[in-house]
Amino acid sequence: MNSIKRFIFSNILILCTVYLCSILPVKSQDQVDLFGYFEPQYMGAVIQGDYIQLQSNKLRIDIEASAFDKVTFGANFDFITYHGKTQWNILDYLPEDITSAIPEEFRSYYVLPFENRIFLDNAYLKFALKHADITVGRQQISLGTGYVWNPTDLFNTKDVLDPTYEQPGHNAIRLDIPIGSRSGLTALYTVSDEWEGSDKLIQCKSGVSRFDFTITAAEKIWTFHDFMQFDTITSYFLTNPEKRQMLGGSIAGDLFGIGVWTEYAYNWMEYSEDFYELIAGIDYTFDFQTYFLIEYYRNTLGRKDHHKYTFNDWMRFVAAEQKTICRDQIYGIIQHPVTDLIFLGFSGIYCISDNSYALVPMLSSSVTNNVELLVYLNFYLGKEGTFYASNLGNGGMIRARIYF
Amino acid sequence: MKTQFIMIVISGIMMSTLNGQNLDGGQIINKVNDLINQETIYGKSEMTIITTSGNPRTFLYESWSKNYGEKNLIKYLSPARVKGQATLMLNHADDIWVYFPRTQRVRKLATHAKKQKMEGSDFSYEDMGSGDAFIKDFAAKRLKDERKEGYDCYKLEMIRKPDSDLSYSRMIMWVVKENFVPLVIDYYDKDDPDLILKTLVQSDIKVIDGIPTSMNMVMYNKQDNTHTSMSMQEIKYNIPLKDEMFTERGLKK
Repeated sequence: MNSIKRFIFSNILILCTVYLCSILPVKSQDQVDLFGYFEPQYMGAVIQGDYIQLQSNKLRIDIEASAFDKVTFGANFDFITYHGKTQWNILDYLPEDITSAIPEEFRSYYVLPFENRIFLDNAYLKFALKHADITVGRQQISLGTGYVWNPTDLFNTKDVLDPTYEQPGHNAIRLDIPIGSRSGLTALYTVSDEWEGSDKLIQCKSGVSRFDFTITAAEKIWTFHDFMQFDTITSYFLTNPEKRQMLGGSIAGDLFGIGVWTEYAYNWMEYSEDFYELIAGIDYTFDFQTYFLIEYYRNTLGRKDHHKYTFNDWMRFVAAEQKTICRDQIYGIIQHPVTDLIFLGFSGIYCISDNSYALVPMLSSSVTNNVELLVYLNFYLGKEGTFYASNLGNGGMIRARIYF
Repeated sequence: MKTQFIMIVISGIMMSTLNGQNLDGGQIINKVNDLINQETIYGKSEMTIITTSGNPRTFLYESWSKNYGEKNLIKYLSPARVKGQATLMLNHADDIWVYFPRTQRVRKLATHAKKQKMEGSDFSYEDMGSGDAFIKDFAAKRLKDERKEGYDCYKLEMIRKPDSDLSYSRMIMWVVKENFVPLVIDYYDKDDPDLILKTLVQSDIKVIDGIPTSMNMVMYNKQDNTHTSMSMQEIKYNIPLKDEMFTERGLKK
């Protein structure tokens, strides 16, 4: 029943946006742009002796229109279908010693479903005023300088195997005030039931010499689930919302020709323990076009010892409620163009705290002007119970993207 | 009277020839630099990469330049894969920011990124954005004049200065005597000054807004056996461009 409601709601949203697009007082028809991509993807993995596969097809349609000189409307819809193994029970992939406490009758509640979806990902109006930009609606929020992790970004969690993949849109009102050539102020507000429960963020940015600086302050109601406690009224797990206040900053620039960046955020929690996140990274391109990047990440919400990983830690990580359960990690990637159309790369991620790691060889190719291909393999090589444990499965992914 | 006029014309030609002969490498490259770095430039160009597979890849982009090449902004119009992507280069491409429209993320790149190929072409960001590199990073020496591609040319050897971090150890440049257009440039390897990496050939010189402008250029990559051509579809010189264009806000617009 819920999926039918969602389907109807999604279609109403699509119709509303198309209608909105059509009534916008655009100057001429050629100012409305329709573009996007189709993205078939295949994932396969050997997990505990079984070969499991999941295939998806994603169609993204973007609409962009300029109304007057100062107003822009942008939106995109995503249509995704899933095939193959679309029901994943998380308990099957976690260490037995921490899942054994879950009663048999509750095991079905830990199924992660991949359901066909149609949804409005972004839909916003941007007003470009003389001294400021105001963006209203579902929009991309990209904060921080990190490549894999962004401590100052309270809105998104990147996939370590695929960190540059686009993030979902967030409903927000955003104000950007540029000051001079390299400075500015950003304020962001996401609407909730009441002011107290809404997310607020303010960011100041500036640039000096070869460096860009930001200082960010934010307040957010952060909702953790207790995946061991079931709420019979909502038919889902109990939630523990609490206020999170964050103060952080970032630096990105150039030191002796090497790219350097760092980002830090301290978080004051209403009930649970305060924590901080820190990243530091470098990158460089050699004359022979080989590119490398290394990024270190610390999150004191993560554990120092993998024996202390709890069931809730794992579930919150899988549900993207927290970015990691491992305290210290290091990520590296090296890429080289073997021809003008093919890049070979190799990335690795190492959890320093529990001595587990994953290796990801990859190949990307520009097949034609508007077709890209990405292939990667992933090998988890840690001991059972560690963050990158081998029982999480070894496999790979093939993804094509056809732009139009 | 007639004889006097002929004498004036001949002496004028001789003077200009003598002036040309008197110009040293530094003076010639300064004139080249003045020609290619106007106060402001707007251009719409089509870039076609002939890949190793032999298939062409075509990009259409607009570019704006201000302060004699110190500030540069490039925005892609097509293909769909890169549409909306933009690159801002300030301080002669010492500071680079790239904007990705789908994620609406602006990423600051360090100076090493200048060595990267622009959209897989045979032009690097360094080739596109380092406006005053000819005079800032190289010392020019005049060699024996030569005729090249049908033009009488000055031939210059440009040796990289010790404090420069550019990717080429030296360049050989043929400059059209008549208008100071750098007609052909050979780029040599950073470590092996005898190894030619790339050759740029400019052609179809037209006078636009009083400025001799090459409407076509081809960069031949001698190592990868590929080449990239660029043809100017539209160009305007010394038009008013606001400083706001060359900011993060301008990059996202």
